[in-house]
Amino acid sequence: MEGTGGGFRKDLVSKLLQLHFTDSKTKVGGDALRLMAELLTIFVVEAAIRSVRQAQAEDLALVDMDQLEKVLPQLLLDF
Amino acid sequence: MEEEEEGSGEEQQRFSYRQRLKAAVHYTVGCLCEEVASDRGMPFSKQTIAAISELTFRQCETFAKDLEMFARHAKRSTINTEDVKLLARRSNSLLKYITEKTEELAQFNTEQKAKKKKKLEDDNTKSVVPAEAAAAEKDGS
Repeated sequence: MEGTGGGFRKDLVSKLLQLHFTDSKTKVGGDALRLMAELLTIFVVEAAIRSVRQAQAEDLALVDMDQLEKVLPQLLLDF
Repeated sequence: MEEEEEGSGEEQQRFSYRQRLKAAVHYTVGCLCEEVASDRGMPFSKQTIAAISELTFRQCETFAKDLEMFARHAKRSTINTEDVKLLARRSNSLLKYITEKTEELAQFNTEQKAKKKKKLEDDNTKSVVPAEAAAAEKDGS
């Protein structure tokens, strides 16, 4: 299921979500947890790749905050 | 006075728990960014990785609350894959990807169940045959 070597571990994702639930009875199903781990990985990789593309378009040798700031609005709209 | 100290102790625990989670996120984000960086031959500044990490942590709050509400709307207390699909609705390609993954998972689960069922049946057949043979022998004599 994991396309990248890295990626979010299920137990970490579970804790991250649980932290923000308002109801103590709320739980996450096994498959849903796997999907969320995948979704979060995609989120990070998208942020990274879009920033790289921005840096390449600006002919830079390093990805810095400016590049991330430029891709942020569209990233958040897509998620 | 004592109560105040206990309260702040609890807050300290909550705070350091959050910090540990943030650190875990930062580690994973760092790994993923490293992969992208070496893949594209473009390094990231440490600040940028930290910013993506902070961003991801905050996005989890939005995701968690949305998921909880979707499940509650469907009168459930357990979040399922339909809720996650709803979460991914804003981008067509994202939704398509998540839907495909959902189907892969469903198929994997069905295959696992079929394997378990077959194993159970095989085990039953093995244990029944000797018992029948023993019973037949007994009758014979």
